[in-house]
Amino acid sequence: MEQLLSNLGLGFSVALSLTNLWYCFIGVLLGTLIGVLPGIGPLATIAMLLPVTFTLSPTSALIMLAGIYYGAQYGGSTTAILVNLPGETSSAITMLDGYQMARQGRAGPALGIAAIGSFLAGSAATLLIAVAAPPLAEVALKFGPAEYFSLMVLGLVGAVVLAHGSLVKAIAMVVLGLLLGLIGTDVNSGVARFTFGVPELSDGLGFVAIAMGTFGYAEIILNLEQGDKREVFTSKVGKLLPSMDEFIYCVPSIIRSTLLGSFLGILPGGGALLGSFSSYAVEKKLTKDRQPFGKGNIRGVAGPEAGNNAAAQTSFIPMLTLGIPSNAIMAMMIGAMMIQGIAPGPQVMTQKPDLFWGMIASMWVGNLMLVVLNLPLIGMWIKLLTVPYRLLYPAILLFCTIGVYSVQNNPFDSILTAMFGLFGYLCVKTESEPAPMLLGYILGPLMEENLRRAMLLSRGDPTVFFQRPISAVMLGLAILLLIFMALPMLRKKREEVFTEEET
Amino acid sequence: MQIKNGKDFWAGWMYIGFGAMFLIVAQNYSMGSALRMGPAYFPTWLGSLLVLLGIAVVVRSFTSHLEHPWRLFEFRPLFFFASVVLGGLAYWKQAWLVGIHPWVALAANGVGIVLFFSSFGKRSLSWILLVTVLFGYLLKPLGIVLTTIALIFGASLAGHEFKFKEILFLSIGLAIFSAAAFVYGLGLPFPVWPELRG
Repeated sequence: MEQLLSNLGLGFSVALSLTNLWYCFIGVLLGTLIGVLPGIGPLATIAMLLPVTFTLSPTSALIMLAGIYYGAQYGGSTTAILVNLPGETSSAITMLDGYQMARQGRAGPALGIAAIGSFLAGSAATLLIAVAAPPLAEVALKFGPAEYFSLMVLGLVGAVVLAHGSLVKAIAMVVLGLLLGLIGTDVNSGVARFTFGVPELSDGLGFVAIAMGTFGYAEIILNLEQGDKREVFTSKVGKLLPSMDEFIYCVPSIIRSTLLGSFLGILPGGGALLGSFSSYAVEKKLTKDRQPFGKGNIRGVAGPEAGNNAAAQTSFIPMLTLGIPSNAIMAMMIGAMMIQGIAPGPQVMTQKPDLFWGMIASMWVGNLMLVVLNLPLIGMWIKLLTVPYRLLYPAILLFCTIGVYSVQNNPFDSILTAMFGLFGYLCVKTESEPAPMLLGYILGPLMEENLRRAMLLSRGDPTVFFQRPISAVMLGLAILLLIFMALPMLRKKREEVFTEEET
Repeated sequence: MQIKNGKDFWAGWMYIGFGAMFLIVAQNYSMGSALRMGPAYFPTWLGSLLVLLGIAVVVRSFTSHLEHPWRLFEFRPLFFFASVVLGGLAYWKQAWLVGIHPWVALAANGVGIVLFFSSFGKRSLSWILLVTVLFGYLLKPLGIVLTTIALIFGASLAGHEFKFKEILFLSIGLAIFSAAAFVYGLGLPFPVWPELRG
């Protein structure tokens, strides 16, 4: 307990320094600004804003990125409520009841409870991270290469199971990502692999180019293809704060969703999407009074928003303690860490306590800022929503292009981004979920390295992965998960879940 | 035989293509053994797995219960093959096009990229991608102000509506903003105006 307080004390002293407070603020502001734009989800927002953080110190950069993440998520909810156009699937759930509330002239309370619910859930989840992270990191420090390899397999399988659509295609995308991650100089032999004689590729494919192309560009292009059809409820937002009665009505739902979301966020493959979806399902079952769900019940906004934020927060736990991303957004965070020269893993906590605890404390600060910032600024976001897309997208495109170019000041990155833009477009057209690919890309080199080491230690005996207990349990879980998902009965259920979510 | 699920069909071929590429290129490196893995070991296994998964998805596209049209997006095979030929030439140019003038090589590469990007999708796709590549190459010689204006005009042509006056104001505004924010504010090493020297 004392340890916890002193750690948090250190964290807050870092997070509350003027510089970091400023970057946290800028991050939340920019994140909301981009995230509020219809059709641009948190993933695309972070990809677009990633280059902005490169000039900062590692601590400030990560604090700013985390801020961007919450901002983007909250911005997405705002759009879902006001425009009926979700940035990504996690706010699609909020849209169900939020948009109905907006149509009934209650957009204000919907936006208000979304902010309050997110804040409460975020605060609880942040505390959970502070409590749970150190012991987990200690366990992880004892992991050998075999355990790490199995853990990554489990993480990737988890991500695959939770991806939309076809299981086989999600596995294929992971494998493709792993392969893309291998491009560049092989650390063991010094051979430049898959570079096709291009010197720019010897350091590997640029992370920013991949992320920005596959997520940012593809979204812009698809939005352009679809054309602009929006209906914005700007005039009747009304007062923002929900009434006391409404708030009390939502409290149990916020508590339940926070618990559920926090748990789901830690799982491999878990994250905001799972949190909001499950919370909505639970609340729908448990709430019998007032309006039915889907017709503008305020719990249908409070629950998923709390669950989504709690899960978003706790998905930092595996990222910070094990160095393993549980979803594509955490993969971006790891990418950003690596660009900053920090090797992600359990040693971060002991070697860079100021960064580790500063980031955790800044999560709470960021969540507070969201509430403080968004409630008064809501008018501005609404104005932004009424700007026609034909004027917005050239500006977004400009910032993306400058961002990509600025990483290395090399036109080759522009070509690479365009290539991945095309790839992202084809992925959407063929329903190949690109998020597992990004996970694979981050884990590819790590997996190869740990596989090599494990095999070297076991003298080439592949059964080592089943002889070591922790490794065996994790591989067993991964295999079980895959078998379960391949069972026809469960597969049908899974399809139902994902189609229900999309409509 | 009829393709039922066009999405699976194309996705499968995409996986096969990528998998085969990695698999074939990896054979240039040493395989090593399970004990001491060479640089080809991991990619060979992964590449083979990807090809197998691709085949499975293509096979499934003929029996799928989900119906999707065969034509998912516009595809111009002629452009595509021409760009592949030009790309191949660029890759092997060291071998048999040694004495070629650099401008000719550059033009060939440029045409190749234009053809490649315009072989897929609607106009919006190719415009956005081309504008991005052009931005990367024009920024140093032209400076950020002119490049920004060019990018905004180019990007606007990808949309459904194009109003000259509106875009003119937007581009000038953004040009001033990006010079101020990125060059003077963030200190990025971009030239602001074209560098006038011989």
